Amino acid sequence: MLTAAGAAVAVAVELLEALAIVLAVGTSRRWRDAVLGAAAGAVACLVLAVLLGPVLLANVSLDVLRIAIGALLLLLGIEWLRKGTLRLAGRRARSSSQAEYEETREELEGSPLPPVGQADWAGRAVAFKGVLLEGVEVVLIVSALAARPGARTPALVGAGLATVAVIAGGAALRRPLSRIPETELKYGVGVVLSAFGLFFAGEGLGVDWPGGDLALLGLAAILVAATQAQIAALSRHAPGAVGA
Amino acid sequence: MSFLAGLRSLVLGETWVVPIGVAMLLGGAALGEGVADSLWHDGGAVLLTAGAVIVVLVSVASGARRR
Repeated sequence: MLTAAGAAVAVAVELLEALAIVLAVGTSRRWRDAVLGAAAGAVACLVLAVLLGPVLLANVSLDVLRIAIGALLLLLGIEWLRKGTLRLAGRRARSSSQAEYEETREELEGSPLPPVGQADWAGRAVAFKGVLLEGVEVVLIVSALAARPGARTPALVGAGLATVAVIAGGAALRRPLSRIPETELKYGVGVVLSAFGLFFAGEGLGVDWPGGDLALLGLAAILVAATQAQIAALSRHAPGAVGA
Repeated sequence: MSFLAGLRSLVLGETWVVPIGVAMLLGGAALGEGVADSLWHDGGAVLLTAGAVIVVLVSVASGARRR
């Protein structure tokens, strides 16, 4: 359940960012080029995912794989947790797909739109790059969460549900989902990924986690307690949110 | 931002504090397992968790100081 929830939230947050970029291309240029660029990025991610999993599982021992996956999840998770803590403490601007949407629209304003019937390569390239970059992170997170015995189905189900929900929301609204509390979601994803990373790396390094898998909840609680204390301390001396 | 710069930032993050901290944490854990296997087996959970919390707190503090 925790694996499915972790995969779902992480994938949803990443896809919101990719969606904002594709929507910006679609609304400011042409939908056909936005969808073509995004589809090419999604296919590239799919190829990476199909190649990555079997190669890793066939050639790497389980302990090495646990340490490598743990290290990767710790890198991603602590970075998200760091940014989330700074944002919640008012030391960094809050996360917003709306801002990404506006930035992408501004970026594309410099490239003239080709006549109807000609391919808009600038629009396609921006949509492709946006989907590929966010998609690679999705592939890394889901592959890492799914690599544990018995975790493949929940990780894939969580990721699949999140993908359907975000694409359906974006297609229905045709604009970024600006009311979603992205900062809090990303902070939560940081906590979950860091806890999983620590747990996997510990297993690979011979640590006996008290309580078995339930230790994940304890790790998450400790990370929340530590960062909330730091948020409270930083907020008392906050000079006001700055930076992006 | 170029694609490669974006990919580097995606995996390693915006600062070197997190990758260096994670490398020190896991390097220290590997050393602990190699030097005192049974002690590490029992006490490694506490040490690893404490180390991870320190990496998080230091990375946030360093980010807060730079702003």
